[in-house]
Amino acid sequence: MDGTLPPYNEDLVRQVLEEMKILFEQNQKEVALTVDGETGLFSGVHLRHASLERNKRCLLSYIYNRMLRIKGLRWEFGTVLPEDIKYNLCEQEIQWFTKYNKSLATYMRTVGLDLTQDMKPPKSLYIEVRCLEDYGEFETEDGTVVLLKKNSQHFLPRSHCEHLIRQGILEHIL
Amino acid sequence: MASGAPPLRSHPSSELDYFDIDDIIATQGRIPSKLEVQIYNLGFLDPSSEGNDLQAGAKLELPLWLSKELSYKDGYREVFKADASVVDLHRLGPYFYEFGTKLLHFDFEENSQMASSMQETFIKRFRKIMDSSQNAANEDASLLTSKLDHIEKQVFSAGRKGVREFLQWETGNTSKLTTSETVVNHKKRKRSMLE
Amino acid sequence: MAQSEGDDFLLSGEATGGGDSEEEIEVTAAEVLVQLEDAWLNEKFAPELLENKADLVECMLDQIKEMAKNLKKVKKGDVVASLHKLEIDRIRYVLSSYTRTRIEKIEKHVVHVLEQEAAREESEPSRLSPEELQYAKEYADNMEGLFKSLALQHMPANMQNIDRKKAVPRPNMDKYVFMKVLENQEQVMIDPEEDPIDLESGAQHIMRYSAIAPLLSNGSVSLL
Repeated sequence: MDGTLPPYNEDLVRQVLEEMKILFEQNQKEVALTVDGETGLFSGVHLRHASLERNKRCLLSYIYNRMLRIKGLRWEFGTVLPEDIKYNLCEQEIQWFTKYNKSLATYMRTVGLDLTQDMKPPKSLYIEVRCLEDYGEFETEDGTVVLLKKNSQHFLPRSHCEHLIRQGILEHIL
Repeated sequence: MASGAPPLRSHPSSELDYFDIDDIIATQGRIPSKLEVQIYNLGFLDPSSEGNDLQAGAKLELPLWLSKELSYKDGYREVFKADASVVDLHRLGPYFYEFGTKLLHFDFEENSQMASSMQETFIKRFRKIMDSSQNAANEDASLLTSKLDHIEKQVFSAGRKGVREFLQWETGNTSKLTTSETVVNHKKRKRSMLE
Repeated sequence: MAQSEGDDFLLSGEATGGGDSEEEIEVTAAEVLVQLEDAWLNEKFAPELLENKADLVECMLDQIKEMAKNLKKVKKGDVVASLHKLEIDRIRYVLSSYTRTRIEKIEKHVVHVLEQEAAREESEPSRLSPEELQYAKEYADNMEGLFKSLALQHMPANMQNIDRKKAVPRPNMDKYVFMKVLENQEQVMIDPEEDPIDLESGAQHIMRYSAIAPLLSNGSVSLL
């Protein structure tokens, strides 16, 4: 997972589907001829059929593996995708992402756990962090308000910082 | 503890591998095959043929997925006869083991020989891979891994990862929370785009 | 069972201990946590989805909610309170990791999991909780919708379906796992080509998951 997703290659997909259509039609022709009594065409039909299945497998695999990467984006970035990444998703993939978010949110709500938190075992309660970008005000559990300005350092509750660290806003200093 | 490794068993891996990109790439590798029958209208597959049709006896290098499909008994005759002795396993590069194990699906006489020689090769190389992964903790590994097959590369990085994580644990660095790698790369790209 | 004052506070939800019913609660909660941790490790290392332990999850979730409520009553900056807060975080981590591991497996093998559920007899318990079943159905529908809209509906007429035999990812039951024997087992068939062996309590082995799957579900071994 390196955070890149190339644009959905609509042209290539269309080409593959076109090729499948042609292969299929050739096969239909030869099957019809065979029914009419022509022999010896079976091997050609078989070969084309194998190619059709292979194309199908490659296409579905392309879609499937992109889907896995998009799914990973939810766990890394959250529910809102950065514009430049969103740009590389096709319409149907964006719809998939929206439905996935909804489904996951429902599940987490019924279970009572935010599964996108607590990704690592806790070692200490408070941690030292440095702010990497201007973020603004941040309220901790006990009500204290902290101003997160670029380069400022703070000693904050680990559980509150976790998601800000993963998003690159804070840096954990050991 | 069990003495000796359990015998190599082939199990239908297609259920695990349909969407697996590595498997798709591995089955793309070519295997020399001889056409047993004539195939009409597909003459274009053989660059050396002149007519519309593929002639019986034509020698073609077919991708493994196609060879596998067609070498089943087709009616009463075998359509293609794949030639194992001609396949140079060493030229297969990064997919040596995966491609090799797929060749076992064909009913070659040489199958058991190929299987045991692959197993021996793997075992011999594994030792060296393990040793070098434990010692080259932070050096650039590209020279070492350039000669490794795809699966061996995974073993090598797992070894290195283990060493690295152990060292981190020793120095108490495991509890450091980090920015998600995806986010880091995204920011890097954004920055470079703005420059 | 003798408990330190800290533990009384930790698991019974009361600052002052005492009383039989509270001791009962203490023991039960501690036991539940151990069971949850075992379930968590087994789930982590098993290639297939195991029986769901939603009751353990619910119990520990209630526990940490209680503990968090009690912490609010304590003075801020209290060191003991910090430790308890850390314990809450640790338990929540195990709960999240366990639930996440299950969700990952459900997603990875979603069609297989749904087929398994559909084939189940009425009398057999489901491996999925009702919420997990709902999630699995939604995930499968969403994925199928993606395949259909982008590819399948544009394919030749008789190729528009997923081949159930070939195109469904299934768990690798032959994966090798590390395991520990919890109870002596006699004459276990590990490898059909060899004689059955005895497994000694306390011993650790590495073997194919398929060989020990039934032993895992009846609790005689656990995964490491």
